[in-house]
Formats: sequence, C-alpha cells, structure tokens
Amino acid sequence: MSNVLRPYLGAVRSTLTAALTLENFSSQVVERHNKPEVEAAGSKEVLLNPLIISRNENERVLIEPSINSIRLSIKIKQADEIERILCHKFTRFMMQRAESFIVLRRKPVPGYDISFLITNTHSETMLKHKIVDFIIQFMEEVDREISEMKLSLNARARIVAESYLLAV
Amino acid sequence: MSLLAPIICDNGTGYSKIGFAGNSDPSFFLQCLPNCNCYSGTCFTVISGPPVPSKPGQIASKRGVEDLDFFIGDEALANAKTPGFGLNYPIRHGMIDNWDHMERYWEQTIFKYLRAEPEDHYFLLVRPQSPVIVEAPLTQSLQTEPPLNPPENREQTAEIFFESFNIKGLYIAVQAVLALAASWSSNRVTDRTLTGTVIDSGDGVTHVIPCAEGYVIGSAIKHIPIAGRDITQFVLNLMRERGETTAIPPEDQLRVAGKVKENYSYVCQDIVKEFRRFDAEPYKFFERFEGEHSVTGRKYNVDVGYERFLAPEIFFNPEIYSSDFLTPLPQIVDDVIQQSPIDVRRGLYKNIVLSGGSTMFQHFGNRLKRDLKQLVDRRLDASALASGSALKSSGVEVDVISHKRQRYAVWFGGSLLASLPEFYTSCHTKAQYDEIGPSICRRYQIFGSAT
Amino acid sequence: MILLEPHNVIIQTTLGEKIIKPSSLDVAFVDYDGVRFHLSTPQSKTLLLLSMHIRCWDELVKYGALEILQREYGSLLQPQAEPEYNVSLVIDLEQIPASPEDRSAFILSIALFKRNALAAPFELAFKNQKALESSGSGQGELMEIHYRDEEAIYVQASHDRVTVIFSTIFADETDRIFGKVFLQEFVDARRQPAIQNAPQVLYSNRDPPLEIRHLANLRNTEDTGYVTFVLFPRHFTPANAPGTISHIQLFRDYLHYHIKCSKAYMHSRMRHRVAEFQKVLNRAKQEVATTERKTVTGRTMSTR
Repeated sequence: MSNVLRPYLGAVRSTLTAALTLENFSSQVVERHNKPEVEAAGSKEVLLNPLIISRNENERVLIEPSINSIRLSIKIKQADEIERILCHKFTRFMMQRAESFIVLRRKPVPGYDISFLITNTHSETMLKHKIVDFIIQFMEEVDREISEMKLSLNARARIVAESYLLAV
Repeated sequence: MSLLAPIICDNGTGYSKIGFAGNSDPSFFLQCLPNCNCYSGTCFTVISGPPVPSKPGQIASKRGVEDLDFFIGDEALANAKTPGFGLNYPIRHGMIDNWDHMERYWEQTIFKYLRAEPEDHYFLLVRPQSPVIVEAPLTQSLQTEPPLNPPENREQTAEIFFESFNIKGLYIAVQAVLALAASWSSNRVTDRTLTGTVIDSGDGVTHVIPCAEGYVIGSAIKHIPIAGRDITQFVLNLMRERGETTAIPPEDQLRVAGKVKENYSYVCQDIVKEFRRFDAEPYKFFERFEGEHSVTGRKYNVDVGYERFLAPEIFFNPEIYSSDFLTPLPQIVDDVIQQSPIDVRRGLYKNIVLSGGSTMFQHFGNRLKRDLKQLVDRRLDASALASGSALKSSGVEVDVISHKRQRYAVWFGGSLLASLPEFYTSCHTKAQYDEIGPSICRRYQIFGSAT
Repeated sequence: MILLEPHNVIIQTTLGEKIIKPSSLDVAFVDYDGVRFHLSTPQSKTLLLLSMHIRCWDELVKYGALEILQREYGSLLQPQAEPEYNVSLVIDLEQIPASPEDRSAFILSIALFKRNALAAPFELAFKNQKALESSGSGQGELMEIHYRDEEAIYVQASHDRVTVIFSTIFADETDRIFGKVFLQEFVDARRQPAIQNAPQVLYSNRDPPLEIRHLANLRNTEDTGYVTFVLFPRHFTPANAPGTISHIQLFRDYLHYHIKCSKAYMHSRMRHRVAEFQKVLNRAKQEVATTERKTVTGRTMSTR
C-alpha cells in the first residue's frame, strides 16, 4: 500500500469496523419480515448518520449504517475518459457476478461506482474482520487494476499501430 | 444496407460448425482432437497457444499482444508441437470451462474464418443440450437428469458477444429444437411443428430428447452410452476376432474401422435372416476395403463381413457389445415418451427425428419405427385385453423422420430458422442488452413453428 | 494473428476442396464491409459461378474496377452479372493450372476478388499521381468510396502524394474511446525510428480534413473521426503498390478487430481479478460443519 493511500484506507477501515455492529432486527412495519433497514428506510430511528470519507473530490466512500445493515459505496478515481469507461466496465462485470460476492449490491447508489450491502446475517455467518479486509483490499486494488488496464490498452494500441504501419 | 446473413455457431459434439444462415452446409468445421480421451464429446473446439499468464501483474501491463498469438481448429492441431504452445479445450462436458479461451476462440472464428464484421450480423448460438458427466463409460447408472446448462452460462455468453463484439442481435437456441426444425426440410413433413422426439447420436453419447411445442421436457430426457465411438470399437473387435486386422498397421486400425462403419454399414431388418443371406452368398455380400498405410504407403485390403449389419445393431441389441447397458434404443424412446405428459405423447410418437452422424445408417429409421411400433401395439393390445372391453383403440401413429441433412441437423436447423423473417424479432438485440443487461438471455422465445 | 489477411478464407478452402472433388454447391457468405458472395454451380458440377455484391460498386466502376478485374481474371469475368449481385466470375474446374504452385496461386487470386475490386480507386490515384508529377502541381479528382452505410474512403492524388482519408464512426461508447486511444497511437507511432518510412497518419475528431471539407454530405457529430494517410511515391512503387493497397483497404477492419480483441483481453483480466477478489471474500466465510442427516430408517436425504 502506498503511503499516500494509507491514511484514507485506515480511516475507512476503522469507520467500517466501528459501524459493523449489527444486530438482528425485525421489520417494524410488516410482521415476520426482516429487511435491511438501510435499504428499506422505513423509519428514521433505526438509521444512523451517514458518513462520507473523502480523499479528494474524485475519490470518496459513503458509509450508511443502520441497526441491522450497513451500506458502503465507493467512488473510484477516474482521471479521464478511458479510466471512466474501464472503471464502468470493471464494476459492471463484477456486479454481474454479485451472486457470488455475497455482500455486493447489484446496483451502485447514485453518485457512486460500486456499493456493498452488509447485513447482520453476513456479519454473523462470516468473519467480520475478514469482510473489512475484503473491502479494503478491493479499494486498494481496484485503482491499480484500472490504471494497469489503461497502460496495457495503450501498450496494445502502440503495438497494433506499429505493426500495421511497419507492414505498409 | 440489406441485412447480412446471420451467423450460426454450433459448438457441437466432435466438431464446431460455423457458417451463414440460408446455406445448407456450414462453411467451416473446426475439428476436435480425434480419439481424445474424454468421453461425452467434451472437447469440441481446440485452441492452442501459450496459456494466458495466470497472474496479469505488473509484467502484464507491459506486455503487448501475446494473447493474439494462438490458433484454433485444425491449425491448432498442426501447431500443437511448437514449443510454448499447448492444446486447450475451452469446453468440457458441454459446458464452457475456460471463458478466456472461448472468447478468443470466437474472436478468431469471426475475424479470421468468417471475415465478418460482428457489428453487422445477428448471431444464432446453439446451447449444448445436456452436459452429461459420465464417470465411467458404459455404466447403467447414468444421471437421468443432467445438470442443464445454467442460465449464468448464457449470460456470460451474451456478455462476451454484446460487449466484446458489439453484435447486432443474439439468439441462443436449444439443440433439440433445431434438430426438429431441420426435419422440416424432409418432404414427408407437412406441418412445421416443434413437438417431437429427437434422437441425437454423435460420437460420445446418444440423447433422446422429447420436445413439446419448442420446449424440452427436461425431466424425461434419457442418455444412452452407445454412440459413434462405440460402434467403431465394436467393428474393430469383430474384425480382430476374425483375424482381419493383421493386415492393417496397428495405428491405422481404429481409422479403418471408422471407414468401414461409415462406408459399408447398414441396419438389417432381421439379424438371423441376414446371417443366412451372408452365408449363402458370401461373395455377393462381403465387401473388400482397400487401404493404404499412412506412413509407408503400402497397400493392404481387408474383408468386410458381418460387421456391415452388426455394427449399428448395437443400438437395437446392446447385449452383443456391452454387458452393462442392455436396454435397446426403441425401448428407451418408448420410456422417454411414456414419461412425458400424456397430452403430448401422440405428438412425440408421430414425429421422431434423427440427428447426428451415428443415425446415418441405411434403414436406421425404418427399423426404429418397426420396433417401436411393435412395442406400442403390444401395450395397446395388453390394455385392451386387461380392460376386457370390446372397444378397440384406433392405434398410435409412430413415425421416424430421416432426412438428408441429418449429419449437421442441428446446424442446418439453425440455418433454416435464422433465415425466417421472425428470427430478427425473436433475437435479443444490442439495444435490449444495453437497456436490461445480460439477464435478457433468461428469456427464451420460440418461433417459426406453424402451429 | 495480428494482421488480417487480404484474401477470403471461405473462397480459398471451398475452391481447394472442389478442385479435388467437384460437387454441386450453393453457398452465400460475406466478407468485411458488407460484401456478399454467392458461390454456386448453376449448370454443371465443374462450372463454379462466384458472384459478389459490394455496396459501392457504382463508384468502383467509375474508378476503373472493371478494367482491373478484367486484367486480373481475364476471360473468367462474366459480361453479365448474376441478378442481385454486381459482378460474377465463372471458374471452370477442368481448366485449372495443373502444378500445385500454379494451382494455389490461382485459388489465391480468386480469393482476392474483393481486394482487387476495391483496389481500383487506389490504382487510379497512383496513376494520376505519376501523371501530375511531371507538371509539378495540381490535384487529381477526389474519389469517394462509400464502402459502408456511414463511413467512406476518400482518395485524392496530388503531384507529390496520394491522400487517403477514412471517415470513422463508432456506434458504441466503449469502442469510441478505445478507438481514440488506438488512433492516437497510429499518429504517434511514426516517431519510432523503425517506422519513419511509414506513411504519415493524421487523426482529427469531428473536423474533416481540408481535402474533403467542401463536401456536402459529411456528418459532423461527436462520434465521427477522420483518419488521413499520406502516401508518398516510395509507398507505391510498382513493387510496393499491391501490398500497400491490400493493407490500406483493411484499415477499418484491422482497427475494429483490435478494438474487439482488446475488449476480450480486458475481459480476461477482469475475470482473473474478480476471481482473486472472490478468494479474498471466501476467506471471510466460516467453515460450516456439514453433518450427514439421516431419516429414522437410515436413508440419507440428498438434494437433487
């Protein structure tokens, strides 16, 4: 992890760990239902204050805690058109497979690129600190992956152009 | 611009068949590795090339276009021995196993072989019907309910075709339905129905698939572990027993057996009579096969005798070949139809369609029809007797349809369907994909049937 | 496979097979840029009729395609093309060169049918340039070839060069952005010493180059781009010209092929990365002890 990134990820990690205090909570509206309150947003008293951790204007994390669920949305750095499209493709590809990423939300919260939804069931059946690890690692690697993809696209384009022009 | 012909891709058993709609034959067959040691036609498509590095790390970002350096089909086989290249089979057991390879495989089929701009074309893909996983060959304990191709597989296919290739539209068809559609070309078929039983026999496994109005009755599908490869082996066994094979170089024996099967075999109506005929006039019925040693060019020839009619006989009397699997094909077909809902059974008996290379034997259809008819009539008689009533059933019509395009029936059916005008409205289009996403492939629409 | 081949593989393989074993045939197939082919045996098994439909046939004829096809195929070229197609060849399988080399050369020349038809404007431009060279100034006619619905090639000769302009349109947003990256590299690649001799490439987004700015039927939207190749006489010496023509014709297809391949490569990468993430997440899962559950009679319950 680069040093510049460390405080940012550190802040996300401690906030997320603190926010992951979830408990089973039945729906107040429908009998025998149990919904993630952060999604249902049915009553105000079970929602906690949402929080934004922002590294700069392009990179931020929104954490919305509630009594039985927490939603974490990430805005990934996109410096230019290429990174924007690569980021879009990557997140879309991943969300397409949300089924196997248990905590991944199929759609991001508006204004963000990718969202995770962790409910009390997740925090009970899975190791909490490992979930946090996963999200931190995701944030750490996604930037690198996108810039690597961009580099490799450029490298490919160069080879393609050169081999075409060499042959003319 | 006038619409360009849709492209039909059938990554079927043994061969990948690719071509344009409206034609009667596929433009390319990309061969699978002959005699590969996978049982149920698992390796359709061969792709060879240096494997994609498992870890696209920092080095990967600097590397260029090595992933374009690969071959498919016959060229892959030719290049398999080049250092750094290996054979890969992206499809195993009818399921796409390695999506990276599969994507590159499609990439090269489209751009190198078909020379089509995918943006201008509609595609019809054939979804493998039933990836059978057979543990040991020839065991009765076959799974009767194979895991059908999960919809996620289709979604990933759509993702590749729409996102990588920007194709205009995609239709994912079911093998059995295409085989039914192919039978419309036969002049005996008057109404274009999509109800019928498909007997699909390729190299590895024979499937019996009932279809009602374009939908496969999954619970009634049955598989028979007897298909082309077993027939070839059986021919070889018979020839070995007679001592014919001494003339054939060992490495050519299987190939010669395959040739004998393809060129001389037929289905007889009565096995005992046939033996008598052969014994009475051996010179009339025995054939001579002339071969040439593939390396030295030395000529040799062998007699072809009883295996001419005994080879396909293993479908009807499996006990002559195997001791594990003993149910004859007509019996299986009958079971399959009896397991289907009662209101479609008449339709299933009336329209039994053959597909695949191993159903190409002469008189195969007639024999199947006769045996099946006997089974059905016997049951009707028994029930009439048991009920004790004087009323007699009007009988059940049994018909087996053979046609000229049996070998590539699935591909041909695709070609036929894709040249119908309704094809375009049944396709999932790029616009729909962009709007809804890959889940559109979960919707399956049938079209083209007259009823 | 980095470069695309100029010949059509289907024609090549089918002809190769039919020479060995003539049989009746009726197939339709395509080539890049919406070219349609029809190969059939209308009269006898040994007389193959190969017909081609090109969108921009009228334009090509204007620039001398017929003469070029006549030169390449001679008597094979039919005066009357098959209905619905623009031009037809008849290949008599009984009059095919006997030696293997001649034979494969003959097949290859047939497989280059589309390439030869599309070569017309380029050959004409090269000829015009030679003619203009002596005068030392002046410009040849601007030739337009609308080879696709929305895209066209413009070829113009002047006294010291031939300019080839491709208009490009990307239907898909991703393609547009990838295409931009690729085209930028085409422009920059020439800085490499090894490629100094390659034609100069210019790329402009939206604004058409000076040569074609006066044309009325240009679309100036955000997704349009113009790629200009400047060919100097050294690129079309009699020895180089055929290769240059084959190559430059396929520019658009080459570009799109590689855009698609890059996307496929990105998919590979993403698949790998997503699998890695999956592993990380799986570490969070707790081991659940699976005990075999049995009924009273001792039978196991299994999920189907």
